[in-house]
Amino acid sequence: MTLIDHLHLREPVEALKAKVVPRHGTSMWYYLGGLALFFFLVQIVTGLLLLFYYQPTPEAAHKSVEWITTKVPFGAVIRSVHSWSSNALIAVVLIHMFSTFFMRSYRSPRAILWVTGIILFVLILGFGFTGYLLPWDLTAYFATRIGTEVPKAVPVFGSWIVSMLRGSNAVTGATLSRLFALHVGVLPLFAFVFVTAHVIMTALFGSAIPIGRSAKAETRFIPQYILGEAVLWLIGLAVLLAVAVLFPWQLGPAYDLTKPVEPPAGVHPEWYFMFLYQTLKYIPEWAAVTFYTIVLIFWAVVPWLDRKARREQKSLLFRWIGILAIAGMAGLTTLAYISVAQEQGTAALEQTTTAHGSTDTTQPK
Amino acid sequence: MFDHLPTKRRNILRALVAGALTAFVAPFAYAIGKFLSFQGTIGGSNTAKLSAADLTPDSPSKLVEIEGEPVIVVREADNSIRAFTATCTHLGCIVSYRPQMPGFYCKCHGGKYDVNGINVPGTRPPSPLTELVVNEQADDLTVSLTPKAKSLS
Repeated sequence: MTLIDHLHLREPVEALKAKVVPRHGTSMWYYLGGLALFFFLVQIVTGLLLLFYYQPTPEAAHKSVEWITTKVPFGAVIRSVHSWSSNALIAVVLIHMFSTFFMRSYRSPRAILWVTGIILFVLILGFGFTGYLLPWDLTAYFATRIGTEVPKAVPVFGSWIVSMLRGSNAVTGATLSRLFALHVGVLPLFAFVFVTAHVIMTALFGSAIPIGRSAKAETRFIPQYILGEAVLWLIGLAVLLAVAVLFPWQLGPAYDLTKPVEPPAGVHPEWYFMFLYQTLKYIPEWAAVTFYTIVLIFWAVVPWLDRKARREQKSLLFRWIGILAIAGMAGLTTLAYISVAQEQGTAALEQTTTAHGSTDTTQPK
Repeated sequence: MFDHLPTKRRNILRALVAGALTAFVAPFAYAIGKFLSFQGTIGGSNTAKLSAADLTPDSPSKLVEIEGEPVIVVREADNSIRAFTATCTHLGCIVSYRPQMPGFYCKCHGGKYDVNGINVPGTRPPSPLTELVVNEQADDLTVSLTPKAKSLS
């Protein structure tokens, strides 16, 4: 009797050994889900390590991050990997989501699998938002001020949501405590549950073959598929480490609550929130919140709306919806970056003119 | 994975895989070990400053903190000012100064030290408290964690 038999795991292990993955022209997209899992695991490991030194108070937060990056051995790499990996995770999840969409992998019996994926997408954005404040630097502070202001526009519950997020009227130490609790407690708990569900369902249902394609062959899950995934993980790790070491994630100047200052020129959120940031320039907050809530709900129930996919037919409509979604996000993001660059340009110009215009201008730090 | 191979080749391949995995994991384990075993506190001061006037015959001792360590500064009967580590050498409680004893007393397990910080035989502490250097500039006292050289005894 082996350990497997003692644990009554013989059946699932045999099933896993017998598992095959269909091979066809677009089966390389299957590997992205696994890559997302890899970056998620990197976040857990590096996040837990940072937790040993990070201190979530307005007085100590910035100092402790500085301490991690300057004093603690390997602290700079670990913090840099955590930040870069969060971006990699969001990027991979985005590509994974859209590739799944265009392959119509959400169709029955994988509708719930798709929904868990959307929930994970929202949770990951939540991680990004809550984690952003934690170093308590200038941009983090202003991004959080603005970010926690947006939900105010939600009908009826708006100000309640804001007060729940902030824990006080403004962004203060109470907000830091709350976002920290969400970042390291609440969100990981939900993420763990949904990642587990997502992976188990993928294992049970197997990978969907895109409509109109037929599997040319099959890849055995163990060992071929796993080894292929391992190669991708190693590439991911190598790139992550290289980027983290060569381009250390920056830490801006600390924000002192007792000495309010202006935001830096062109203050803006991370790239994955830029489309939202740009939208808020065009339409009022309530409209943006309502619009994106509807989009999100629509996106989550796509498996039930795309009736053609359920009959194994390609729907031209849903292909265009997907293309529109990508084009919309990409377009808004580009516009947002252009406006940020312009704002920084104007600010730089203003600074030089003031410097020339008056003699007593102190040197910018 | 190598079940289809002859035993000898299988064992060699398995050893190679195990070796490669160890070589892969080792640097990460090393880095994480180094990261976690770091010691230090953020912004901890390595000296404590106090005024000699704070040590009166009524309250001849004061507890101060240096790098997270409790330190007891006392004005002894002969009016000399001395500082000792306040951590009881028995189980790490914080000792207090008792002029009537005279000496240091630990409330946790009844440990006793004399005025020189030497553990009283028959009580629990196994070793003396460490006397620290006190820098006196008029009324200002600066204490650091530097042990005072044992010249007097």
